[in-house]
Parts: sequence; structure tokens; C-alpha cells
Amino acid sequence: MFASVVPIGHPVTIHFDGRPIPAREGETVAACLMRAGVPAFRRTPVSGGPRLPYCMIGHCFDCLVEIEGQGSQQACLVGVAEGMRIRLQNGAAGVGGGA
Amino acid sequence: MPPFPDAPKPDADVIVIGAGPAGMAASVDLARAGRRVIVLDMQPGPGGQIYRGLEANLAEGAAAGALMTALGPAYAAGADLIRAFRGTESIDFRPGHTVWEVRRDGTVGWLQGTKAGYLRAAHVVLANGAMERPVPFPGWTLPGVMTAGAVQTLLKAGQMKPLGRVAIAGTGPLVFLLADQFRRLGVRPVMLARTDRLRDQIGALPRLRLPAVPSLAKGAGWLARLRLAGIPMARGVTGIEAVGATKVEALRLWRGRQLTEVACDLLVVHDGVVPSIDLAQGAGARIEWNQGLQAWQAATEEDGVMVPAPGASLVDGPCRILMSGDARQIGGAEAAMAHGRHVAAVLLAQGQSASRTRLRKSLLPRRFLEAAFPPGLSASLPTGNTTVCRCEEIDAAGLDGLIRAGAQDIDQIRGLSRCGMGPCQGRHCAVTLARMIAAQTGRAPVPFRARPPVRPLPLAALAALAGRDPRLTEIVSLDDKPVVGVDV
Repeated sequence: MFASVVPIGHPVTIHFDGRPIPAREGETVAACLMRAGVPAFRRTPVSGGPRLPYCMIGHCFDCLVEIEGQGSQQACLVGVAEGMRIRLQNGAAGVGGGA
Repeated sequence: MPPFPDAPKPDADVIVIGAGPAGMAASVDLARAGRRVIVLDMQPGPGGQIYRGLEANLAEGAAAGALMTALGPAYAAGADLIRAFRGTESIDFRPGHTVWEVRRDGTVGWLQGTKAGYLRAAHVVLANGAMERPVPFPGWTLPGVMTAGAVQTLLKAGQMKPLGRVAIAGTGPLVFLLADQFRRLGVRPVMLARTDRLRDQIGALPRLRLPAVPSLAKGAGWLARLRLAGIPMARGVTGIEAVGATKVEALRLWRGRQLTEVACDLLVVHDGVVPSIDLAQGAGARIEWNQGLQAWQAATEEDGVMVPAPGASLVDGPCRILMSGDARQIGGAEAAMAHGRHVAAVLLAQGQSASRTRLRKSLLPRRFLEAAFPPGLSASLPTGNTTVCRCEEIDAAGLDGLIRAGAQDIDQIRGLSRCGMGPCQGRHCAVTLARMIAAQTGRAPVPFRARPPVRPLPLAALAALAGRDPRLTEIVSLDDKPVVGVDV
């Protein structure tokens, strides 16, 4: 759905459900996953429907993902880090933080 | 003398919340006058949403040249303020900090990652900006439906442009600006569906004042270039729908009974911006309905001091919160800068009348824009199985049933339905539900009652809270409700 306007110089690599994804240093997890074209960041706790970010500025909470085992992280507010492991959030975050 | 000897000491003279144009302008003036200033912002860098990513894009120089050209001069204009902000070394800037509580005694609760705590200052400036007006229409939760602001964030901070078929629906200057930015990047929207009509703009002409002329000319320029580029445009759109199974596949738009369907891969929606009231409301502000704007605003005194609602509060004493920028009154970036400087002048007690005059002048263009591009996508209330609460997936029919059955208190409906109880804490459903209730009762829309934390706070962070006020950790009452003062 999106393509880079500026080439990514020295990418860091993050992983979404095990798939390696190149990211621009300093960008948010949400920006990187949108560029990579993942079909959903989360599935809702009620209907299981897929969601992608809607507002990108921290208001809608549709970009919730699991980051390093911690569920319900706002992908639009968290910066990427080398080797970061991200998973699609399936429903509500479980007790102990995981999805 | 403080009533308790163990009262915590202030961490700064002023805590500014938000590093957008208002927050940056206020903190620069305050710090230059010798005040100790802490600035908190959710984002990784300064600029707010309007100058999002500007610092990084400028640092990349020629590599980001085409992007900077596409984003245009109004975006690049933030560079001076960001430089002044970064150049004022005494400003204690703390990016990546989410604020989940503000109290009127100057206490601010923050969260960074999994750490949280309280800070205190003699004054708090709320410059937390605006959000896009929620627009419930059929299919608005489908992947591939995004707000214009969201796509601009991807442009500015993600350095990316949309691929495939892009449809835009809504109204307001941002719609034209975004379409023009797309055009410069070689993206041709398949449809620009506008809810505004020529008669809105004609009707707004009596509100036109000289300071609005440059922005009017800018808007006319965008429109002329879009027409020249042959981008399909529809006006007077009365309703839209996003169609698709697991992602958006088409935009349906109605003009009265006339239906048009346009296949698309991305649907960008925008219906104007409204003040972010979450922090002010959590701080106990009196929240008022602005009929013209069709949105809530926090009540303020002439120079921006927040007006608390009557009733119980965790703290007593004078209100130490001042509101600035779009969070107080929508005006755009230039007005927000004037607003920030005005708040600083008020706090420094110098030259307020000059800064107040500049602020009033900077807000003038807005009066025309508000009338020329009235809310459209949200104008009629949702019905049937259209989602109202995105988090809990509650539709209009269910809420309507509760209202018709006699539940006409918004907090009662929240308790009955879970509408507004998801992670966004009502940010995207409150105004719709409140308007649905108001349509039945004939009274002005009232928001959900909001208590801190106004954003989700991990229990581990809460358990290890830094900077607690020891006075408030003592059990002095078995009531679970806030009480005025701490000396009960």
C-alpha cells in the first residue's frame, strides 16, 4: 500500500511474526510495518476482525501489537530497534502482558 | 508554608505538555526568561503533528529533497522554531513521554516505556493539540481506511507515499493540501469526494477578514493545480461507505440518492480537526460544547487559565493549568505559535496585551474556514450496524436501542454497553454517542466522565511509580471517591 520516497540508507531489521523487515533508524514500528504492507496489526477481541492503524498519532489504539512479549503496545509511538520482535496482537493482551 | 513538611518539591517552574508549535514557542520564551521548563511529548522528536519528522528530514539534506518539496513551504516553515527549541539548552525536553494525568495543583503523571511517575511544577501548560474529528461511516474500521493526518504522518515521518488506487473523502484545507502533496509525488488520487458545497464557501464570505486572504489564495492554488491535473472531484457528497471483506476495496459515495462506486486500495478520510480535551477533562476542566465547531472545548479564562468544573477534586487551591494552541482553540500552526508565546507572556507577566492582539489576529482566518468547510462526513448520525465504538465494536442500532429504552446518561450507557471502555477510552466514540443522546433529549452533548489515568498505564509501571506525593499514599479515608484537599 505504501512505498519509500527516500531510500532507506542503513536499515535496522525488525521481525514481524518471524518475518524480517528492514526499518529506517528512528522511525516508529507502525510506519515500518505499513511500508512492509502487513495486512493486519491486530485482530480485535470482539469479532476477531483485522485492523491496521487509523490515526497514527496515538489516539485510535488500532495499531496495538505485541512487542518483545509485551502486549497492547501502540506501534505508532514505539521506535524500532535492531532485532526487535513483534507479533500480531490476537484479541486482548493476556495476563503477564503477552497477546 | 506548605501544610505538610514532607510536601514534594517542584521539579520545574513550568511543565509544558506537547512539543508542537504552541509548546515549543511557549517553552523557548519561558526558558530564555530564566524559567526552568520541562517539556513532555509522546513522539520521539519535537514538532508536533504539523512539523512531524521535520528535524530528521532536514538532517538528511538532499536525500529528502523531493519529499521536502512535496510537503511544501508551510512544513519547512517549522525549521526556525525547532532550531530555537533545540538551541535553548536549558529546556529539559523529554520525548517519548505519554501523559496520563494532570492535576490542577501542577502535578503531571508520565509514562515512558514501562516506567512511570509524577512531576510537579508551579504551572502546567497544556499544548497537546488537536485530533481529527471522528467520522463513523459503514466500513470505517476496515484495514486501508486511514485519516488524512495518518497518511501525512507516514509521509513526513515514514518518508513513504501510497501506492495503488487512492481515494480521498471529506472536507477542509488538509484534504486539498494532502491531494496536492500526493500530486507532487506522482500519486494521482482516483477520487476526491468533498462534502462541502459552493454555497458553504459563499455563505462564509462575510466572515472573510484580511488576514485570511493569504490562506485563501494558498487553498485556491491547491485546487487549481488539482483541477489542472485532472483529478476526479465530486462535491456535495452526503454520505460514504467503505466496501471490502478484509480490507477496503471500494468507496461508495452518495450525493442525495445518486450512488457512485470507485474501486480503491486506500481510503483517506478527513472531517476537520477538534481540540484534544482528554488531559484537560482528566484535570477536571469544565467541558463546553461548541455548536459551530460541533466539538467540545475546555473552558478557559481570557488568558488561557483552565476553568475547573464544580465538584470534587483530588486537589484544592488555585488552578495552575494554562491551555494553549489547538488544544484550547483550533487555529493551525501559526496561531498555535502565537498562542504559545502568549501563554509564556502571561506566565512571565510581561507584554500580554501585545501577544494577545497577535493571537487574536492569528485566529481570524479560522472563522472563515470553519464556515466554508463545515463538518460533512460526521454531519448525519450513524445508523444500523455502522460501528460507533471502534474498540468494543458497538454499532449505532444497539446504542439507539438503549437510548430509546430510556438510558439517556452517557455514563450509564457506557456501563450498560461497554461503549467507550476500550483502550482508546472513548476518544473515537464519545462525540457520536453524546450527539445521539442529544438528538433525543434536545440538550447539548455531554462527554463521558473521565478520571485518570486517561491513557492505559501498565500495572508494573503503576506499582513502581516514581515521584509519588507521600501525603496521598496515606490511607486517610475509606471512600473511593476523590475528596477536596488532602487534609481530611
